[in-house]
Amino acid sequence: MASEVLVEAHGVTRRYPGVVALLNVSIAVRPGAVHVVAGENGAGKSTLVKILTGTVPPSDGEIRVLGRLVGDEPELFKRIGYVPQELNLFPHLTVAENLFMPFELSGFGGAVLDSRRLAEEARKQLERFRIHGRPEQQVRELSVSDQQLLMIARACAHRSLDVLILDEPTSSLTVNEIERLFDIVRSLRAEGKGIVFISHKSEEVFEIGDEITVLRNGELVGHYPVQGMDEGRLLALMAGREVKVDENFYPSSPPGDVVLDVRGLSGVDFEDVSFNLRRGEVLGFAGLVGAGRSEVMQTIFGFLAAHGGEVTLAGEPLRLGAPSRSVKAGLVYLSEERKQHGIFPMQSLMHNIGITLFGATVWHGLVSTNKERKAVEEIVARFDVKAPSLSQRILNLSGGNQQKAIIGRALAIHPKVLILDEPTRGIDVRTKVEVYRIIRDLAERGIGVIVVSSEMLELRRCAMRIICLHSGRMQGEFDSRTCSNEELVTAIFGKTRENS
Amino acid sequence: MKSRWMPGYSALQLIVVLVVLLLLFAVSSLLSPYFATPYNMTIIARSLAFIGLVTLGQAMLMLLGELDISLGAMGGLCGVAAGMLMMDLGVNPFVAMGLAVVLGALLGLLNGFLITALNLHSLVLTIAMAGVYKGVNLVLTKGVAITNIPESTQFLGRGEVGPFPTPFVIMIGLLVVIAVVAHRTPFGRYVFAIGDNAAAARMIGVKVNLIKLLVFVIAGALAALAGTLMVARLGTAQPSIGDTWVLPSIAAAVIGGVATTGGIGSPVGAILGAGIVGVIEDITVLYGISPYWQGVISGVIVVMAISFDSVSRRYLFSSR
Repeated sequence: MASEVLVEAHGVTRRYPGVVALLNVSIAVRPGAVHVVAGENGAGKSTLVKILTGTVPPSDGEIRVLGRLVGDEPELFKRIGYVPQELNLFPHLTVAENLFMPFELSGFGGAVLDSRRLAEEARKQLERFRIHGRPEQQVRELSVSDQQLLMIARACAHRSLDVLILDEPTSSLTVNEIERLFDIVRSLRAEGKGIVFISHKSEEVFEIGDEITVLRNGELVGHYPVQGMDEGRLLALMAGREVKVDENFYPSSPPGDVVLDVRGLSGVDFEDVSFNLRRGEVLGFAGLVGAGRSEVMQTIFGFLAAHGGEVTLAGEPLRLGAPSRSVKAGLVYLSEERKQHGIFPMQSLMHNIGITLFGATVWHGLVSTNKERKAVEEIVARFDVKAPSLSQRILNLSGGNQQKAIIGRALAIHPKVLILDEPTRGIDVRTKVEVYRIIRDLAERGIGVIVVSSEMLELRRCAMRIICLHSGRMQGEFDSRTCSNEELVTAIFGKTRENS
Repeated sequence: MKSRWMPGYSALQLIVVLVVLLLLFAVSSLLSPYFATPYNMTIIARSLAFIGLVTLGQAMLMLLGELDISLGAMGGLCGVAAGMLMMDLGVNPFVAMGLAVVLGALLGLLNGFLITALNLHSLVLTIAMAGVYKGVNLVLTKGVAITNIPESTQFLGRGEVGPFPTPFVIMIGLLVVIAVVAHRTPFGRYVFAIGDNAAAARMIGVKVNLIKLLVFVIAGALAALAGTLMVARLGTAQPSIGDTWVLPSIAAAVIGGVATTGGIGSPVGAILGAGIVGVIEDITVLYGISPYWQGVISGVIVVMAISFDSVSRRYLFSSR
């Protein structure tokens, strides 16, 4: 290596109209090291990534790649590979085509595809990254984790790559798949590449990281070696104060009578699910990605079609198949896909929340702007949604604030049962705790709450009763206070307790 | 920067459209001494009335994230239907016009039903339906205009209320109603919400398909009203009524700031956009520019409008 540092940002600042997203931040990525960037939502992680990848120019400061200023040689950005959090492959093109787009490997200056050569090269990459797939297969046929690895392979494939930036690469992977990913990260590290790893999950930080850069509110908190760092300290650095990691959030009042009863429900990807939920209870649903948790919930809600089974809500049978009917009956579902199923991105915060308040704000058929403003202000205050103004497009708020706004909106419907699907996905630690408090508060006010989550700790902290799903089937019900982690993990991996 | 009345639409953008329209007025008055005459203004207002009615419906559909290419053909068919009801079946002319509007609503319902029930793409379906409606029109009329429409109806097309042409007054009245519906009623809010994110709207219990159906019905009825008023204006029910309405209605909405992807814009902006299209058409005629150039000019304006929108959005919403 010509230089000790592969990529270096020095005193980088990025201003947007009215906002300073990043202020005087420096970072240095060394060869053969995994550099973790940690920080809460809105800490400036994604802005830093955008600057390091050349997507946006910094307002101030300089970036050097291999010791050379990128301002003089934009070509240097080609040495930095970026793998975003969301899958962004071409699902209907083949594995080989995805890998080598824009086809630098092809004949006649890229004008004609040399498919045999592409396939050969692709096979090498598939082997190297241990992806289960064939070069001529359509990408959509691969599993999510293979697609994730394929994105990494693609970033490494057609450039003289020095630095690889991985943006929360594990968010949709199971434990085994994460191990596979980490093996690959380790082998890249052994090759002398610099890896920038962005993650919310502290256990991963400690497993794979060598150095940590902590950001808070767009400013640099510091650089730390992973050795000698512990979880509590890391969370405290990110939050700027102490965070308790083992507090639980069980409702203080005992649960009431049964409010939701599900009998023998079957649908897309799951079968024969039966359970009940009491008023004032928080029920957890655990399972791997693809176990059918969201499908069960969306079917109860009527967003997906049911193949059989019965749902009783507050003693009345619920006709499945129409979300509008479920909402009317008092059943509300908040999707894990906040962007796809939650927010109205281009509408204001006021109209995003106001859309469920018409019962209180409409007078003679017209929405009273004053009443709406007051009602929305109340919700914003109660759920502590931080926004510069109510007329701000919700798109411009952070994920945590969007989530709080959406929970507030859902509660304005006065649900009897509220289903929260991954309520803290993409939310920083501090806001997570706020969401847990909201969940407890809801249960204490007599709402039946179901929490679906991939984070075992989250379920154990919020729900007293946890149901495990595996491959669309129920694997048992556990008392959060008495069961062991091992029991739960065994169940979500689909083994019966006798075998374990 | 955003007005309380215009959800998802910056008041700034509305002002820009208004300023462009006023500038266009100023430039046009300089270009031709005939432009600023009351007579010419009446001509502009009258033609704006018909395009405006179609634009109102189109804009509501676009806010919803849909489009209807068959609105012109629908208007033509309903105009012809009104003519046939009056002349061939001897129905009271005003009842006939009312029935024609009801027919338009039903055709809109048919479009909306096919799109929501079969989950079809509105652009493709309505291109096909435009062919169907135009075809039925030609089959019924054999391509010949129905003449001698009773003079009693003519005040609706040719008459004036004070200084304003009657159809223009009708259009402005409906604009007010639709703007209030769009911005100040739950129904209107649902339209914006669906256009912005239909899945999210379903998730909070909005009856998405019902709202879509209703907007198609409204657009159909407005197009039919435009068609029948045109019959009243011409005194004959021409099979060619509505042939040139659809593309200007889309262009007007886009110029007025309605996003083709839905969720952003306002009916008021769309009508101002229609005004821009109308003034450009008028001045090209007055200035003696060959009508062959008109398509080029309005095309360039649309490209400019969407570029302005795109560039300004990149600047205004570049944060995060």
